[in-house]
Amino acid sequence: MKRITIDPITRLEGHGKITIFLQDDGSVANVYFQVPELRGFEKFSEGRPAEDMPQITQRICGVCPEAHHIAATKALDDLFHVEPTSTAKKLRELLYSAFFVTDHTTHFYILGAPDFVMGPDAPPAERNILGVIAKVGLELGGAVINTRKQNHWIIQTVGGRPIHPCFGLPGGVSRAINEEERAQIEEIAKQSVEFGNLSLKVFDDVVLKNKEYLDMVLSDTYTQKSYNMGLVDENNKVNFYDGKVRVVGPDGKELCKYAPREYLEHIAERVEPWTYLKFPYLKKVGWKGFVDGKDSGVYRATPLSRLNAADGMATPLAQEAYDKMYSTLGGKPANFTLATHWARLVELLYAAERLLELSKDPEITSTDIRNIPTAKPDEGVAIVEAPRGTLTHHYITDERGVIKKCNLIVGTTNNYAPLFMSIKKAAEDFIKPGVEITEGLLNRIEMAWRPYDPCLSCATHALPGQLPLEVTIYNAQGQELQKLSRGIS
Amino acid sequence: MKTLVLGLGNPILSDDGAGIRVAQEVEKKLDDPQVTVSETSVAGLSLLDSIVGYDKVIIIDAIQTKKGKAGQIYRMKPEDFSFAKHLSSPHQINLVTALELGKMLNLVMPQEITILALEAKDVSNFSERCTPEVERSIPEAVKMVLEELKCQTSF
Repeated sequence: MKRITIDPITRLEGHGKITIFLQDDGSVANVYFQVPELRGFEKFSEGRPAEDMPQITQRICGVCPEAHHIAATKALDDLFHVEPTSTAKKLRELLYSAFFVTDHTTHFYILGAPDFVMGPDAPPAERNILGVIAKVGLELGGAVINTRKQNHWIIQTVGGRPIHPCFGLPGGVSRAINEEERAQIEEIAKQSVEFGNLSLKVFDDVVLKNKEYLDMVLSDTYTQKSYNMGLVDENNKVNFYDGKVRVVGPDGKELCKYAPREYLEHIAERVEPWTYLKFPYLKKVGWKGFVDGKDSGVYRATPLSRLNAADGMATPLAQEAYDKMYSTLGGKPANFTLATHWARLVELLYAAERLLELSKDPEITSTDIRNIPTAKPDEGVAIVEAPRGTLTHHYITDERGVIKKCNLIVGTTNNYAPLFMSIKKAAEDFIKPGVEITEGLLNRIEMAWRPYDPCLSCATHALPGQLPLEVTIYNAQGQELQKLSRGIS
Repeated sequence: MKTLVLGLGNPILSDDGAGIRVAQEVEKKLDDPQVTVSETSVAGLSLLDSIVGYDKVIIIDAIQTKKGKAGQIYRMKPEDFSFAKHLSSPHQINLVTALELGKMLNLVMPQEITILALEAKDVSNFSERCTPEVERSIPEAVKMVLEELKCQTSF
C-alpha cells in the first residue's frame, strides 16, 4: 500500500487563538482569545426522551463524561419529581469520587507538574510527563498509572461501563454492588488516599520548597481578584455531588447561596462581538467588562474557587491540607491563579477520602437502589461540580418526558471571562517594549490558562491528539509580527 | 495474537464519529476471539489504558488535513505524528507521548499499531450521521481494517 505523507492540522478552526495587538512602543494594546464552539446541541436534544440525556450529554465532552452523566441523572430526579434512595445517592457519589481521583491525577501530572518540575523555561521537549517521570522517578509514574487504572475499575464496576457510565436512572441507579466489589473498592480507596498524600508531598517538595516558584505563585501577574463559585454541603464544606452553590467575593464575604432551580436568578450571560463564546456573570453584581474586583460580576469556578467559596473540607486529611494551603498563601480567599494546582491536589485527597468513607458505609451494598417515578415530568435542574467548574443541566419537557428545551452551563464556560483576563494580564506583564518574544515567554502566558484546564471544544481525541494553540502578535499598524503555535504544523 | 480494533471519536458530532462507525461495522463482520472491537471518545492517558496488553492495535479516527478531500482514508503509523511529540499539549498528551510513557513504565505495549484516519468535513455540528462524503468511504475503511486483520493470521 502506498504511504501518504500528510499534514494534519487537526480541526481547521479547532484551535485556541490568542491574538495580541501591540502599541507603537511594543507594549500590549489588546488581547483577544477565541476558541471554536460546537454547535447545535440544544436542537440535537429536542424531541428526544429525557431518559436519554445521561447517555447523550456525556458524549459532549471527551474529558469529563462522568460529570455529565451524573448531572443529567440528577436533573432527571428533579424532572420526574422523584427522590433517589439513600443507597443510590451514595453509589452515585462513590463513582463520582473515583472519577475526581482519576481526573485530578491526570490534570496535575500531565498538565500542571511539568511547568514546575521541569521549570517554566525548560525546552518543550523536556517539559512534559516523560520529563517529570524521568526526574521524579519511575515509581511515581507507576503510581499515577495505577491510581487511574484502579479508579477506572470502580467507574466500570459501579457505572456498568468504563468511561461512559450507564447506571444513572431517575430515582436511583440500575445496579447494586456486592460485598466482594465493596471490599475491592475500599482497598483501592485506601491506596488512593495514600496517593493523594504523596501528590501533596510532591507539590511540597517541588513548588513550596523552591522560593522562585512560590514567588511566582504569589506574583501579581498570576493574581486575579474575582468572585468564587462552588457547591457546598449544609455545613458549607466542599461537595462535588450535591448541595447549594455558594458565591464568595474577593473580600471573602458571601454574596449568595442558591439551590439549582434558582440559577437563572443569579447567572446571566454576556455576548461579545468577537467570539461565539458567551461569558456568564453574576446578575446581582452586573457586567462591568473584563475587570476583577468586587464591583465586577466576573466569577471563577475552579478547584481554587471551590475551596475559596467553602468553609473547609468534609474529610480530615483534606482539611489539614486545606489549612496548610491557606496559611502558606496568607489566608482566605486566595486569588492566586497558579495555586489552583495546589487546590486541585487538596480536592484529590478529599475525593479519595470520601471514596473510602462511602466504601465503608453500611448502606452501600443495599439493594434498595431505586424509587420508581410516578409524577408527570415537566422541568428539571441539577448542579454538580465537574473537575473544571460548576456544571448545570436544565431540561424542560412535555408531559411524556420529551425534551422541549435544554440548557447547559458547562464547567469551563463559567471560566471564559476570568480565563481571558488571566491570559491578558500575563501577556501585558511579559510582553514589554524591547523584549524578545520567545517560547519560554509564550509558555509563561500559557501558564495563566493552564490551571483552568479549559475544555474548549471538547476535541481532545482528534488526531494528533492535542488541542492546538496559536498566538499571533500584531504591531500598531496591524501587521503580523510573529506567530507562535503549538500542535499546529 | 491479541488484537484490538479501536474506534475513536464522538458518535454524536457528525464526521467525528466516523472511526466509531467503522469499528461498529467491523465488529458485525468479525467472529474471532483474538480480536476485541472497542470504541472510545477519550485520548491521551486513557488511550494508553485502552491499548495496554494487546499485541496489535488498529486505531480508526477522523482527521482534518490542510488539503484533504472529505472521505479520503489514510493509513499511518504512530511515527507519522512524531512532529508533535515533543510539544507540550495544553490539554492532554498525544498518542506518541502516551506510547513512550507506556514503554518507560514497562507496560505491555503493542508491537504493532496502525492508524486509519478518515478525512472529515464537519466536526462542529451535533448529529448522529456523518456527511455523505464520509459516509461513502466507511465501507472502504471497514475493508481496510479487515485486510489488516487478515495480515495477522499469517504470523
